[in-house]
Amino acid sequence: MQFKDQVDFIRQHMKRNKLRVTTTILAAMMGCAFLIVLASVGFGLHKTITDDVLDNRKVTEIEVPSKVESEEKITPAEVQTMRNIPHVEAVVERSGVAAEAMAKIGARSGYVNPILSDLKEEQKAGLALSEGAMPKKAEEVVVGYHFAKALLTDEEREASEEQQSENGFAGSLIGQTFELELTPYEGEAEPASWSFTVAGVLEEPAKDWMSDGSVYLDDSWAAAFNEKLGTGEESKSISVYADGLPSVGAISEALKDDGYYVYSVTEELGSMNMFFTALKAGLIFVGTIAVLIASIGIFNTMTMAVTERTREIGVMKAIGAQPKLVQKLFLMESAAIGIIGTGIAVVLSYAISMLANWLVPIIIKSSLGEQDSEGFDMVISLIPWQLVVIASIISIGVAMVSGWRPARKATQIDVIQALRQEL
Amino acid sequence: MINIKNLEHTFAIGKKGEERRIPVLKGITLEVKQGEIVAILGKSGSGKSTLLNILAGFMAPESGSVKVNGQETSALTEADSAAFRLANFGFIFQNFQLMPGLTAFENVELPLKIKGLSSGERKVLVEEMMRKVGLTEVAEHYPSELSGGQQQRVSIARALVTNPPVLLADEPTGSLDSETEQEILQLIQALNSTLGLTFVIITHDEEVANVAHRQYRLHDGELMKGEKRHAV
Ligand SMILES: Nc1ncnc2c1ncn2[C@@H]1O[C@H](COP(=O)(O)OP(=O)(O)O)[C@@H](O)[C@H]1O
Ligand SMILES: [Mg+2]
Repeated sequence: MQFKDQVDFIRQHMKRNKLRVTTTILAAMMGCAFLIVLASVGFGLHKTITDDVLDNRKVTEIEVPSKVESEEKITPAEVQTMRNIPHVEAVVERSGVAAEAMAKIGARSGYVNPILSDLKEEQKAGLALSEGAMPKKAEEVVVGYHFAKALLTDEEREASEEQQSENGFAGSLIGQTFELELTPYEGEAEPASWSFTVAGVLEEPAKDWMSDGSVYLDDSWAAAFNEKLGTGEESKSISVYADGLPSVGAISEALKDDGYYVYSVTEELGSMNMFFTALKAGLIFVGTIAVLIASIGIFNTMTMAVTERTREIGVMKAIGAQPKLVQKLFLMESAAIGIIGTGIAVVLSYAISMLANWLVPIIIKSSLGEQDSEGFDMVISLIPWQLVVIASIISIGVAMVSGWRPARKATQIDVIQALRQEL
Repeated sequence: MINIKNLEHTFAIGKKGEERRIPVLKGITLEVKQGEIVAILGKSGSGKSTLLNILAGFMAPESGSVKVNGQETSALTEADSAAFRLANFGFIFQNFQLMPGLTAFENVELPLKIKGLSSGERKVLVEEMMRKVGLTEVAEHYPSELSGGQQQRVSIARALVTNPPVLLADEPTGSLDSETEQEILQLIQALNSTLGLTFVIITHDEEVANVAHRQYRLHDGELMKGEKRHAV
């Protein structure tokens, strides 16, 4: 029998029992859609958290907070050794200033966040500028993307308290000189001011709710600040930069072997991936139970179909149809129920997923209120093609397995008995 | 064409251990030549259908040999037996055994579909066969919309469409009135004389047996040559 005729044959039979076949497809569809939607929540949460991790930091950054076995600080020589690890692009030592920092240009002023660092090394680490160039002299600095916005006049400051206003320094900051006034958090020292020129402006942070008001200063200023303000020496945070995400793992391992605590995206994602893989597997398992329940319906429908068609099967066999063909026709019918159910389920699941992603954040935002929900950005449900493949294999596979016994039963029908049946 | 030797079959009924054995066929020997119509007469329950079922390969005999076209068929596997039927036999049943969900045309087409012919090839063969049995008018009718005689014609067309050398008929007119019976018997005779087809007809009806070239009687599990009368 040609394949086209087999398909025709099945279509004809399914048409004859429209109601029963439709309800069975409906059950198969609900089982499969339940599986996909349930698991999609696992995929969605995984993506939300992964995105969060990847967005909030440079993925090639490996933080090295301290040594594992001792309290000693990491020495410059040791930092140099880190630079020699293969695939390390740069190692940056950053420190803050233990003082309140205010930047001033003319009548405008605003609080900023000074960071002392080796700017040559920062450049190698890939500090990206939206404007200008990296500093060439010690008096030159790089400022954060929102630095200009932080500089307000007194009137603007009053106005901004009443309503949100888009003010701040207008025009290009490049080449502008500003005063940086530092007021130490502790101690008796008077505030002091230094003059800096803006050489470059950093790129906008990845998330639009993040505000970057930092000022990157050459670390040679640490001594001068300490002398005037008595701020002491701030502890340095060390960040190692890999030449790409694939080498982060190897570098992390090398650093761990050298006795450092290491904190990197791969570390974080590694343990997270394990958790989410387990979660997704669990959700798929629970969803599969729904598919199994639906399969009882398929089993019943196919068993009834075989019983009803006993005489017809007998005639087919008498005429000379192979038992294999009879079996195949019934297996194809249960597979068709599975395939149609799964097809509808996939479309439905995408619709439900889109609805959930649109509706749930609205509900959460309205219950959290304006302020708390700012920057609330989450994927509730995500259906990657892999999930569709897994769910389809499970649903269609289960449909075929449940059609297996009825199909076997059909092949075992005795021709003589079947032909004896009343019309 | 058909060569049956020392065919024996016994049914066992009742529970295992205390079953009652009913010998139905006790050493049947029969030869059917190509182009012959052979009728096997017998009372109800005499074992006629059992003989035909064994010949068709629907069941295996207890012992004995059945050769069709030189091929021993009594020990074929189910799959081989099906393939053999498809190539060698056409069946005409008492109850017609048509598919209720298929039109007359589609019923006749069914064996060709099973054979794997394309729809173009099928159309030619089916239309020709429908013409031969006089069904062109009702090709698109479903069995429930046909008279008994028309249904049996559909069934005969279905049996003939694959062009098998042998046709097996179990009480082919058992469900028809006597007028329609004559129609069908004439059709069988015509097909036999024009196409040279071999028929084995099983019946309890002397009238039906009269179309045969040779008659046998099945009685007490044994086959005896019946007196031959001239065909109507
Ligand atoms: N499957 C079976 N099991 C037991 N006995 C059977 C079976 N089939 C037929 N018989 C018996 O065998 C005998 C012959 O039956 P059958 O060949 O159908 O006769 P006929 O077709 O001549 O009327 C009957 O007595 C019937 O009861
Ligand atoms: Mg009988």
